Amino acid sequence: MTFLDPWGQESQKQGSWRGTIHVHSLKELAEYENLAEHVKVTQKDLEQDGFSKNPFFHGIIAEVPEQHRTKEGHRKVGYTLYFYSYSSFVGRAIYMEDLYVMPEFRGKGVGKALMSKVAQLALAAGCHQLNFTILNWNKPSMDFYLGQGCFDATATIGYHCMRCEGEALKQLAQL
Amino acid sequence: MNFKIRRAAKEDCKDISRMIMDLAIYEKMPDQVKISHEELERDGFCQNPLFECLVAEVPEEHKSNEGFTVTGYALYFYTYSTWKGRAVYLEDLYVMPKFRGNGIGTALLSKVAEIGKKKQCVRLQLSVLNWNTPSRDFYAAKGAQDLTVTEGWHAIRFDGQNLDNLANEAPKD
Repeated sequence: MTFLDPWGQESQKQGSWRGTIHVHSLKELAEYENLAEHVKVTQKDLEQDGFSKNPFFHGIIAEVPEQHRTKEGHRKVGYTLYFYSYSSFVGRAIYMEDLYVMPEFRGKGVGKALMSKVAQLALAAGCHQLNFTILNWNKPSMDFYLGQGCFDATATIGYHCMRCEGEALKQLAQL
Repeated sequence: MNFKIRRAAKEDCKDISRMIMDLAIYEKMPDQVKISHEELERDGFCQNPLFECLVAEVPEEHKSNEGFTVTGYALYFYTYSTWKGRAVYLEDLYVMPKFRGNGIGTALLSKVAEIGKKKQCVRLQLSVLNWNTPSRDFYAAKGAQDLTVTEGWHAIRFDGQNLDNLANEAPKD
């Protein structure tokens, strides 16, 4: 029922859809995480940053056949966006920034298929870790991921995620 | 104390590797370090490097007891936020204990922020262990927010056999 399109093959041939599904799904994901007003990236940003010679990220789309498209006509029903990172302890790693499946297509293995594809690509690229973050109240996601065999490095080891942005980042850069 | 912050060269990898181990010992996980200077040389100094690194260097007259003049480092790479765009992730920031309190950590951190800004990065992110109070205080004083505390973000990881198992379940092409 689903096939995964490694970014840049079928997608490049089709051309015109590029970016449409992502802003649409990004906003849905952001709304689910109660943080919709924080989405500043536009379709144009995604096209520029993901499809240049040295892209900042890579993506995989889950697409359903014509007969399973949504009422609005969407066939692209899920995606994952990831990039390569580096651990000073183990070397090359992958960071999964987003994993999303439209609500009416959940429970069918699409999320699992997307994530395991990222894991497969990670190993093929010589990566030793697949990392990502989730919100501690997001119980469906927590249960899903822990059920797949990952561990919570915040709960078990005590890692806290820190961020500097806006005015604080500007001041830091000027020191 | 006089010091200089500069981009790491391939020849610095032995010093960086030495300090990575020092940092791992400080973080109480020395058995987690699996790579040596060879991987750093291969991964950081190829055509498409997987990370960038800055080092702090002191003049000869201030070298450590063991004779080291490279006394701190910052290792970072570029990431992407689907909400905000380009970002930089600070993987490691470390200054040898005897060289702390001289502004080296601040200089390294702000240089990473400056480099990120020049590449239009809108965020600088990092992780810190919850018991590491000196580091938590250092970053808080620089304006970093603790997203685990304020928003509930948890860092999740697949590695080892669990990563292999997950990869084996990927759909066939």
